[in-house]
Amino acid sequence: MKRLKFWIPLLGFLVLCVMFAVALFRAEENKIVKSALIGKPMPEFSLPDLLNSGQTLNSAMFKGKWLLVNVWGTWCIDCRMEHQMLLDIQKSGKVEIIGLNYQDDDDKARRWLKEMGNPYTAVGVDREGRTGIDFGVYGAPENFLVNPEGIIVHKLAYGITPKIWREEFLPFIDGSGA
Amino acid sequence: MRRGAVIALLCLLLPLAAQAIDPARLDDPVQQQRYEALIHEFRCLQCTGETIADTPAQFAIDIRRQVREMIESGSSDAQVRQYLVDRYGEIILMRPRPLWLWLIPGLMLVLGAFVAVRIARQRRALLATDTSEPGDEEPA
Repeated sequence: MKRLKFWIPLLGFLVLCVMFAVALFRAEENKIVKSALIGKPMPEFSLPDLLNSGQTLNSAMFKGKWLLVNVWGTWCIDCRMEHQMLLDIQKSGKVEIIGLNYQDDDDKARRWLKEMGNPYTAVGVDREGRTGIDFGVYGAPENFLVNPEGIIVHKLAYGITPKIWREEFLPFIDGSGA
Repeated sequence: MRRGAVIALLCLLLPLAAQAIDPARLDDPVQQQRYEALIHEFRCLQCTGETIADTPAQFAIDIRRQVREMIESGSSDAQVRQYLVDRYGEIILMRPRPLWLWLIPGLMLVLGAFVAVRIARQRRALLATDTSEPGDEEPA
């Protein structure tokens, strides 16, 4: 009887551990990786062009090609880590990378591209994050793969690594024969 | 007396804490009320377990601005909800936890009190039947 009493707190602790683990893994926040926009047309946008001041970029300009829409900002550490991968993707010639410079400073953003290289076909400036809301963005980096018909086929709420590119993105592009 | 004054002063600071997170006010008090109710319905996707009303995270600031502007331009509550669900999915809706979860702390308290009373009673019973004197040796 005494023995049993000794084990009760430990058992209670274990039960709590299991409960917390289940709650953590089932947390609703874990389900947001999937975008509500997958299978839907890319949101239309019209944004100032970061690299050609005075010009405007709009979504219609990019129809007919595989696009990688990359949300980034110079304040975003993971974007810095992702940058080399974007350069490699650009070199592969499989997609056009469109940058969405998110809640950033134009001068800082231009300097960043000058220093580290520019993987983007074009960069739109979304300083207030309004286009970001249309894309369902809640941080950076985020990546959207858009097919030539203008439909979002895949979304990643973090940075692309070589493995993720190979396993999650390329199959869409190569599979379609585009 | 002085302590009462200090507490009263601290209480005056409470609304400041609320303002620090969301300083914006709508001109129309009815719209302001709708706004405050609505922002408690949406999840901050940058955070864990918080609504956009509760946090100064950038995401929450942006969505609050969106909600405010939509209300000002005449959108209904349902239209605001639909707008955000279309973009972020159902996940943006913060559903309150089931009510029974709130009962758990109370239950734990009752359980603890029950155990404490039992222990106290057992002690008293032991003392009542204890015939040994303070100087006695421990029984072998």
